[in-house]
Amino acid sequence: MDYSEFNDDVDGLYRGEYAGLPIVSLRPPGAPMPGAGEAAWRVSVRVYSAKETFEEHFARFTETVDTTEVRALIIGGWAEAYDKDASGPIRLLAENAARFPALRSLFFAAMPQEECEISWIQQSDVTPLLESFPLLERLEVRGGTGLELRPVRHEHLRILRFEAGGLPASVVRAVGMSEFPALEYLELWLGTSDYGGETTAPDLENILSGERLPALRHLGLQNSEIQDEVAALVASAPVVARLESLSLSMGVLTDEGAEALLSGVPLTHLKRLDLHHHYLTDAMVERLTATFSGIWLDVSDRQEPDGEQRYVAVAE
Amino acid sequence: MRALAVVGTPGDRRVTMFADACARQGLEEPAVVPWTSVLRGEEIGIAPETLVRIDSPGEDAEADALLRGPGEPSRVGGGARWYAGFVAGITRVLRAVAATPGAVLLADVEDVSVMFDKRRCHARLAAAGVPVPPALPGPVGGYAELRERMGEARWGRVFVKPAHGSSASGVVALHASGRRVRAVTSAARVSGGLRNCLRVRCYEDETEVAAIVDALAADGLHVERWFPKASLEGRAIDLRVVVVDGTPTHAVVRASRSPMTNLHLGGVRGDLGAVEAALGPRGWEAALEVCARAAARFPGSLAVGVDLMIGVDWREFAVAEVNAFGDLLPGLEGLPGGGAEGLDTYGAQVRAILARHDPAGRARVPVGNGRRGA
Repeated sequence: MDYSEFNDDVDGLYRGEYAGLPIVSLRPPGAPMPGAGEAAWRVSVRVYSAKETFEEHFARFTETVDTTEVRALIIGGWAEAYDKDASGPIRLLAENAARFPALRSLFFAAMPQEECEISWIQQSDVTPLLESFPLLERLEVRGGTGLELRPVRHEHLRILRFEAGGLPASVVRAVGMSEFPALEYLELWLGTSDYGGETTAPDLENILSGERLPALRHLGLQNSEIQDEVAALVASAPVVARLESLSLSMGVLTDEGAEALLSGVPLTHLKRLDLHHHYLTDAMVERLTATFSGIWLDVSDRQEPDGEQRYVAVAE
Repeated sequence: MRALAVVGTPGDRRVTMFADACARQGLEEPAVVPWTSVLRGEEIGIAPETLVRIDSPGEDAEADALLRGPGEPSRVGGGARWYAGFVAGITRVLRAVAATPGAVLLADVEDVSVMFDKRRCHARLAAAGVPVPPALPGPVGGYAELRERMGEARWGRVFVKPAHGSSASGVVALHASGRRVRAVTSAARVSGGLRNCLRVRCYEDETEVAAIVDALAADGLHVERWFPKASLEGRAIDLRVVVVDGTPTHAVVRASRSPMTNLHLGGVRGDLGAVEAALGPRGWEAALEVCARAAARFPGSLAVGVDLMIGVDWREFAVAEVNAFGDLLPGLEGLPGGGAEGLDTYGAQVRAILARHDPAGRARVPVGNGRRGA
């Protein structure tokens, strides 16, 4: 797995690559466009003063591009996404699922901060995306406000990411109660209680047991204001034994959490340990570096407390 | 060569860097007319035939006190008084130059006055078809009125700018929907008013946001619709492009995790090559063309600094500001093909001054020949 394609940039995915394909937006009539299967299609309208509705744009997209070949979709913004929730675009995707038999990768609500702050994105129930696309292999969702998920069974999903400034505990529980036999990569930005991220230990229990996640190789429990507690839970979690990569980055990780990691179940079988954006002391960074000398370890981006305040990487 | 003089703050980097550029091109060190002396109403002594440059008072506390009145220099506000004093000051300089035989002012008082009033600057650019974000017309008296007007315009997110502010002082990035508000600003409330901080803060308490906007409104506000900016590696970016004598000669990328990209507020210099690559050759030319068009609205100004925003989809442009004193970019050399390669912003201006005012002098090569890519 190429871990380098995942990061905490909260990027709009307007350019570059997604899921190994060049990102392309719908071009004006007559302009050359790549084959439908050769691009990651970015479908969106302006969040502010949109000239067309998302529905109109989506209709134009499905009329212009051979949707039966589309492999990757990026849903960006919809009009007034800070006010109007995501149920419209989600329903539209679900209703049109049969037209996208080749769709394998979907990023939903790829709005950068400049378009809509992550906690202002009005999410909705994203379960229909999994139910309507049984062959989907990769789902990424941005925004925790209003986000809902019901427990599902999905045979083919390999990658699941939730980016949020505050991920509802109910979503964390639903992930744990879901059955994802093929899931290899799970990344949850837990966030802060200020933005609805109120996950506590019991909410993480099913994920950490790994019982419904037999194929899991990477676990990211990140961007948490209780990162120390999360680290302590991970340090004794059964699922860790099957991981090759673990991320506890972006959060308020202090020496307490790192100490728990060092004294818990052995982690030396990991190939990657990502702790970037942390509040660790030099001494602790040295101990970690020594302990994990043989593996890829990221302890970059040390934060300094602002008075008594310690911030996660992405909240607002 | 005719003598040069600079209205500035003695010892300030702007003054010394301009003097260094003069020295490198074989010119005498310019005389300095201190801003404090201009503002106190002292006689402005200019030798005949002198070319007079006006620069910023910089961060000189004494000049600031003369302009805004006594007080803590980091306070926000007093913009209207600052502006009145500043315009009176440059007008005094203009009169002194006019009364001196052969002396020439290397600036245009009206241009500078417009650039220091964001409402008039915006109107001048918009009237000429230079892309700018739409602005709320007319005065906005306070927070309640702002929200009312935002509602009428159906604008959920705006940039609120003090009419006479500089360096993002008092600028508020406001997102509002019903009672839910989010304001990002470097202004912090302290007892007795607002203070500039070196860290942008986020306010989500409407009472607090209203108090900040109300405090700023006293000195006049300019409100623009939000223009979502492109980002690179998780940082929003904009460009500061210096246009000397009509030609965009210098550019830097400013990148930040907050909506304010100013370097003193946590912004960093971004990768210009990456921006050029993202825009492509035609997009890059178009970006510089917009800057040249913006600068062309200020024909009496030797150099201006244009803040150019690139849209989130990398296709649109909008001018955020035109700065009369936007050339303080130490160590930055000219753009390839911009005609000022190997020169800093001051060197490019010295050469343009020589080309304009000293045709028999040393520097022969003009700083370009108008717009690029036209």
